[in-house]
Amino acid sequence: MNAVTDLASVVMDLPRRDAQDKLTGRTRYTIDNIGADMLHAVQVRSDVASARILEIDCSKALAMKGVRAIVTHADAPGLHGIGVADHPLFASDLIRYHGEPIAAIAADTLEIAHAAARAVLVRTELLPAVLTMAEALDEHAPLIHPDWQRYELLKEGAPRAGNVAWEAHVTRGDTDAAFARPDVTVVDDCFRVGRQSHVPFEPRCAIASYEDGRFHIQCSTQVPWTVRNVTAKVLGAAASRVRVTVPAVGGGFGLKFDCTIEPVAALLARKTGKTVSLCNSREEEFLSCLCRENAEVRIRSAVTPDGEIVGREATVLMDCGAYGGEQIFLSTMTAHTLGGNYRLGAVKLNSRAVYTNTPPNGAFRACNGVYNTFFLERHTDNICAAIGMDPMEFRKQNVLGDGDIGATGQVFQGDVLRPMLERMEAISAGAERRDPADGRLYGRATTVGTWFVFVGPSAATINLNADGSATLVTSGVEIGSGTMVQSLPQIVAGILGIHPADVIVKTADTDASGRDLGVGGGRTTVSIGSASKMAAEKIREQILEIASEMLQTPPSGLALRGGRVEIAGRPGSGMTIAAVVQRAEELFGPMSGTGNFTAPGVPSLPGCAAGHFIDAIDIPIFTVHDCEVAVDPDTGHVDVLSYRVVQDVGVAINPRAIRSQIQGGVTQGLGYALHENITIDEHGSMEQSGFEHYLLPLAQDVLPVEIVLHEGAPSIGPLGAKGAGEIPILNVGATIACAVARATGRPVAELPLTPPRVLEMIQGHAKALDFAHISPVWHANLARR
Amino acid sequence: MTFPRSVDEALNDLAAAGPDAIPVAGATWVMRSPLRHEVMAPVYVALSGIEGFQRIDVTDEAVSIGPLATHDALAQKLPPNPDLKALKRASARSANPGVRRIATIGGNICTAAFAASDFAPALLSLDAQIEVRDKAGLEWLPVLAFLESRKSRELPWLVTRIIVPRTVRLSAHERLPMRKAGDYPCAIASVSIAVDDRGRIHDARIGVGAVEAAPRRWQNLEQALEGQPVDPALTETAARDLIADFTGRDAVDAPGWYRTSVLPVLLRRAFETIRTDYETRAS
Amino acid sequence: MTIELTINGEVRTVTADPRTALLDVLRDSCRLTGAKAVCREGFCGACTVLVDGEAVPSCLRPIGMLDGRSIVTIEGLAHFETPNPVQQAFIDHDVVQCGMCFPGMVMTLTAFLETNPAPSRGEVKAALSGNICRCTGYERIVDAVLSIQDMRKVSGR
Ligand SMILES: Cc1cc2nc3c(=O)[nH]c(=O)nc-3n(C[C@H](O)[C@H](O)[C@H](O)COP(=O)(O)OP(=O)(O)OC[C@H]3O[C@@H](n4cnc5c(N)ncnc54)[C@H](O)[C@@H]3O)c2cc1C
Ligand code: FES
Ligand code: FES
Repeated sequence: MNAVTDLASVVMDLPRRDAQDKLTGRTRYTIDNIGADMLHAVQVRSDVASARILEIDCSKALAMKGVRAIVTHADAPGLHGIGVADHPLFASDLIRYHGEPIAAIAADTLEIAHAAARAVLVRTELLPAVLTMAEALDEHAPLIHPDWQRYELLKEGAPRAGNVAWEAHVTRGDTDAAFARPDVTVVDDCFRVGRQSHVPFEPRCAIASYEDGRFHIQCSTQVPWTVRNVTAKVLGAAASRVRVTVPAVGGGFGLKFDCTIEPVAALLARKTGKTVSLCNSREEEFLSCLCRENAEVRIRSAVTPDGEIVGREATVLMDCGAYGGEQIFLSTMTAHTLGGNYRLGAVKLNSRAVYTNTPPNGAFRACNGVYNTFFLERHTDNICAAIGMDPMEFRKQNVLGDGDIGATGQVFQGDVLRPMLERMEAISAGAERRDPADGRLYGRATTVGTWFVFVGPSAATINLNADGSATLVTSGVEIGSGTMVQSLPQIVAGILGIHPADVIVKTADTDASGRDLGVGGGRTTVSIGSASKMAAEKIREQILEIASEMLQTPPSGLALRGGRVEIAGRPGSGMTIAAVVQRAEELFGPMSGTGNFTAPGVPSLPGCAAGHFIDAIDIPIFTVHDCEVAVDPDTGHVDVLSYRVVQDVGVAINPRAIRSQIQGGVTQGLGYALHENITIDEHGSMEQSGFEHYLLPLAQDVLPVEIVLHEGAPSIGPLGAKGAGEIPILNVGATIACAVARATGRPVAELPLTPPRVLEMIQGHAKALDFAHISPVWHANLARR
Repeated sequence: MTFPRSVDEALNDLAAAGPDAIPVAGATWVMRSPLRHEVMAPVYVALSGIEGFQRIDVTDEAVSIGPLATHDALAQKLPPNPDLKALKRASARSANPGVRRIATIGGNICTAAFAASDFAPALLSLDAQIEVRDKAGLEWLPVLAFLESRKSRELPWLVTRIIVPRTVRLSAHERLPMRKAGDYPCAIASVSIAVDDRGRIHDARIGVGAVEAAPRRWQNLEQALEGQPVDPALTETAARDLIADFTGRDAVDAPGWYRTSVLPVLLRRAFETIRTDYETRAS
Repeated sequence: MTIELTINGEVRTVTADPRTALLDVLRDSCRLTGAKAVCREGFCGACTVLVDGEAVPSCLRPIGMLDGRSIVTIEGLAHFETPNPVQQAFIDHDVVQCGMCFPGMVMTLTAFLETNPAPSRGEVKAALSGNICRCTGYERIVDAVLSIQDMRKVSGR
């Protein structure tokens, strides 16, 4: 059906409809709807990392004036999770991390709730805490989930054992033979990254009520349907009894891709019969942040003298914290990121999600792709150094092209990365070298990256209104990226021949719209966009059919434009869409259309991948980043002098909005690369609990990103579009790291590159990484069942 | 909350409420006490109504600064003369614009728990005198003595004035945040020197902040520089030779070794500023 | 304690613990939710309002110290249908994302442009060092500010 819609009528720099209210302080986010007319809840959180709960005594707290209800594990015994149901809403017998919720209190005011929280007595017996993955993998390590074998499996087939929550393997070809070849150079590396905190400006918050026997949760989430389902699961209610609505969301970046505090508010609402608000303080938001996880890798490659990668083996450790969560799913993405970008001979990858007694981690914009790309691109540069090949030439020679197979045997279509690299080369060649020549060390690097669009189910309904406008009903949420106010109405309007301003976009309400995986993974434009396109096309057909009869012209001779059905080539002819709607009402009633979408499924090589949620990626997205840096040899400060991005966008539906996403995503990546750092102290608590110590990039820390949107790569997305919001952050850590390595001549093996870390490296005091807990023998790292 | 109109009234208010009361200036430190998990003091004695507390008087002999002068007011009012450069820069570069408009110099130097004050080293290098009032009366203290007395002095007391003497000197203030601006510096060096006719350093005063828990002068380096030319590289070397004088503070923002590693660099940078001013003055 | 102050041109009497942050009075008592509570420690600027014309973080201003003062919040800066030039520039350049930081950005920049109507790029960035944005990466905000031609319209409030 693409042909009927003129791309030119969809593509535009449509400005956001929500800007005026956001700029004048009128937009009400969930947090702004919390008021005096409801109860206020707080959670009682553990202040130790590992303990057995002997007793929870709420009697004192419950007796306090103004305290309306207290809930604990007894009120919500269900377990939830991804892949494995391992996560209770409140700690039951075991406390597994510092900050774990133990109880929640609803009271007339926040002050009373806090006072009551202090009055809850929790008697515990301290247990040894396992704070690092190295400790967790020790054969004598205590089990963080002694009952792991009894948990309900939500997806079968993955190796698990003890403190290893999940493993995803790729085994394609004979790596032993590849490494044994006499002509190859073997390059062996270890890398490590810390955690990154999302810091959405609106913290996670929820307002819940219990109405007509059903829960209503208004919350700041990216995933209304996940909130609905998880709430039902942990409360033991039918999912149909939970309604979730979502006003404007004040930033998510993946943190709100999980259900966390919402069921707590719901539980308290049912218990009190009143509306209950629960909102994380900034400190709680930090200390319970489902960060981009810390991770470690050992990777080795066998490369021929002319730069062919004949064998690759890698083991990645992903810290899931106390509960599996997203890391279980994300173990899948190692195959497509660390195992991506380049043609490989034989390959073996093992991605291990490891339990520790630390706060659980989660999903953060491009997730583990960000550090896997850092690992891969630094490793690639080390390979180039070892075989004496130019890094750009090496990449151009080895990037995946049309018909090449990826790690899991999926066949890639189209030459995308190589032409993108050539474009970057041309841009950089034409630009002035920005070496400040002031005694600082100058470096430049170009890296490549592969990410994907997280497709999967979406639904859309469009009602065509009597005035010719259309109402689009989906479960999409506007988290700031603009898809709900830009690309979706643009797609629908383009198909219906109306102005995007005449497409009303309903905010998410699980009672009004069909199931959806949520807003994240760059999927809104693609999945919800495809469902919306299908719904719009159904309406378009109806319009054309009716108009054809009214105008006595075959549908093929009609065009939808400017809110009218016109006889092709005769502007102003025909009739308004409103007139068609009127006619339709006479014939059969109001016009509406529905659409749906799900992952079409791309084949991989059978038997290659185990423990994966996605064996092959439906829509790959590629990117090329380039930067120049100056490193201060005296202080270790890294100054980014230029930053360039060539990004595969398929078709740019709103080019200006995509550029905004790139500028914002690169900036978050600069924070990750240089100074955003979450560390865990000896008690298992995060050391950064506010803006004083968690250093977000400020205006003076960033620079304008030079952007090229690369169009034309194949995509099954609507009109050929791809997701554009996630991938901008993918390569920033990698690119900065490669540039700093070249500037300093030191083997950068860790992020973030804080000034102390860089200075230590320049001074030659940094110890080379060599993980004792990741065996150089790949097989030795597999979970033994 | 009380609103005294005079120092005596303020001291009375503070005495009356005993340990429940604290003086409040810009409130940027006290309002964050919940974030530090401290109990908010029940009684605030607001100093903003006290006559003359906001005043900044600049003469050729001295700068007299009321304790409630904000960072911003100081940054604007201080003349650009080299002898005051350290203070002007400390005022203009610390914190961020919004905070600088409300946070005061008095509040800054009275906060004993705050290791990364920009003003403390700056005032140390400028040999400022602090006027302190308590029930015993009025006392003038050199900055260092004042800073050291903060935790032990019997309450209530108030800083009522800060005097920065002026002579023909050159000064500079160098701070090192982790980002380009906006965070607490992990090391601060403030320098003020006189230069004799032969172009040699005389009577150097070096204030070091954020490196250790409390700011202090670096006397060994001051002595080492006596009679030396104004030479940034030489100063850095001298500082490195003496760096064992400091035990860097390990904290979340930076490890101790890093603070002592970069301190000599800050001294070099301070002397680069000073050399430029010196050359400008000479020509 | 009872405090009388002017909020967006209206004289209001507030009864509150004098240690309460102005931000909480605005959000909870006055239900002016444009100023956002993000960090509560002076770093992010999302809570910025004008106190006697000066842009300051309202999370650090105890209400007891504001008796007789005049407060302007984002709601009182301009009628929403007639945005001021800073707001208009942000609309025209499509710079808003989640929007949480923007009320504070607008307050800071409006006051800033009144005193410095023709700033350099570096000056705009320095003026924003206490206004953090997690979404946009700043540069387009700066572009929009630099595009404002008629500063008098900003000061002609
Ligand atoms: C975001 C942010 C960034 C910052 N960055 C920096 C920085 O880079 N460099 C820097 O130096 N500082 C920085 N600061 C600290 C800031 O300078 C202090 O918060 C401020 O100086 C305290 O001043 P105040 O007037 O607000 O003090 P208040 O909060 O009013 O008082 C602070 C303390 O001093 C006491 N006090 C106040 N005045 C007197 C007086 N006259 N006599 C006796 N006791 C008194 C009070 O009782 C209280 O204990 C930053 C602060 C913030 C919020
Ligand atoms: S909330 Fe006030 S500065 Fe962040
Ligand atoms: S737009 Fe989201 S914080 Fe600035």
